[in-house]
Amino acid sequence: MMRAISIEFFKFRHRHIYLMATLFLLIEVIFLFMGMSRSISMKPENANWEALIVMFASMNGLLFPILIAVSVSRICDMEHKGNTWKLLLTLSIKPGQVYAAKYIYACILILWVCIVQVLSIAAFGIVKDFEDPLPTFLLIRYFFGIVFTSLAIVALQQWVSLMKKNQVIALTLGMIGGFIGMTADLMPSGVSRIFIWSYYSGLSPVSLSYESEELDFIVRNLNALLPLMLIVIIAAISIYLAGSMHLSRKEV
Amino acid sequence: MLIRCVQAEFIKLRHTRIWLLLFILPLVSVIIGCFNFYMNQGVLKKEWYSLWSQVSLFYGEFFFPIFIAILCAFLWRLEHFNKNWNMIMTAPISANSIFFSKLIVVGSMLTFSQGFFGLLYFFGGKLLGLTSALPVELFGWLLRGWIAALTISTLQLALSMRIKSFAVPIGIGFCAAILGLGMYVINLGLLFPHSLLTIGMGILNQSSISSLWNNLLYYIMNGVYIFVFSLVAIYRMKKSDVVA
Repeated sequence: MMRAISIEFFKFRHRHIYLMATLFLLIEVIFLFMGMSRSISMKPENANWEALIVMFASMNGLLFPILIAVSVSRICDMEHKGNTWKLLLTLSIKPGQVYAAKYIYACILILWVCIVQVLSIAAFGIVKDFEDPLPTFLLIRYFFGIVFTSLAIVALQQWVSLMKKNQVIALTLGMIGGFIGMTADLMPSGVSRIFIWSYYSGLSPVSLSYESEELDFIVRNLNALLPLMLIVIIAAISIYLAGSMHLSRKEV
Repeated sequence: MLIRCVQAEFIKLRHTRIWLLLFILPLVSVIIGCFNFYMNQGVLKKEWYSLWSQVSLFYGEFFFPIFIAILCAFLWRLEHFNKNWNMIMTAPISANSIFFSKLIVVGSMLTFSQGFFGLLYFFGGKLLGLTSALPVELFGWLLRGWIAALTISTLQLALSMRIKSFAVPIGIGFCAAILGLGMYVINLGLLFPHSLLTIGMGILNQSSISSLWNNLLYYIMNGVYIFVFSLVAIYRMKKSDVVA
């Protein structure tokens, strides 16, 4: 299995996929830091961790589905393009293992993106000299929120990207996912929870309240988020297993 | 020659169901925009203008550029397969015809999408019970949006022609959309293709190009971009070797 994963790394050695994902993320980071700096210069009390995390959580709903769709499509499409499926499966490796290797490769990539994002949030807060100390626990919760949601979406995108040779479908799904992820907060929570993409903002440890005239940041209780995390993890496992079983049985 | 190339492009698109995309995006944007308008009627008091700000925000700011990127990547996708680059480059047709036929096909699809979006906006407003007359600027927003979309299409076509991967140009398009929003915020919108869409469709500020001079500048900028991107793409097609 380790060999299968290392082969995935080998296949991508000149493809700059990490660079692409990091640049993708940097654009989001620069954009949000610009926005945050403007908001702080207008109103100095806006310099707090909660505001920063909320901004990132809502933007992630848009960015991650598209970033994952693009990355996973590249990882899977290379086998369609090179017509290598038959070749791969004639080696002494099971289809399920190829599927797992690709999934793990994609997850490591997304994990890298999540780590860079959380580190840049921390760095921004420290550089801007936020009054409160670094909220390590809040950032860890935020980190796991995006990682778990991404695991489920990677599984879904991989299934679609491998099932359909035509990557338009996978990319369109990513686009629709981004759409839902961005607008999830506007939908009633019962409706938005059906969609896996809504969990980027749904699992954010900080939420926004519009009830009073001023915007309030509410730090969510961990116990309230645990069931949602469980749902996402179960979704990730079921989508992965469904995809792996479906495609392992399919004729190449 | 160009007409025959356009016809060939349409033949390539037969049975691809790409037209489904043309319906989905405007429909979803208008539904979510209308829903948001309905929920926030207390704040959004400018009837058709407020509704436009809601529906066009979701449609034009991020998803229209991605949609254009998908369309353009899809049009080049076939050429990257089965050594089709060799076929198309040895066919007795000019590089101009190849590129512009694709641009015309994308343009016609975008016309449909913009028209459908306008129609849905009208019906959405009527369903929400808006009684005042439709904004006179509506046609201008749609037309300028279409022109900016054409500018973005030229860029995306050039990218997808060069990059073999289907997904990478779409990722670049998405990043450019975010950059475009940033450029718009720091008032350099006229210098970036994706910001032109924000300005032209009046997404964030519906009266941003009311004067004649601004209008003219807007069209000139779009024209310049379309010209430069097409020129670079066609030059590249003529001069560099294809790898099929």
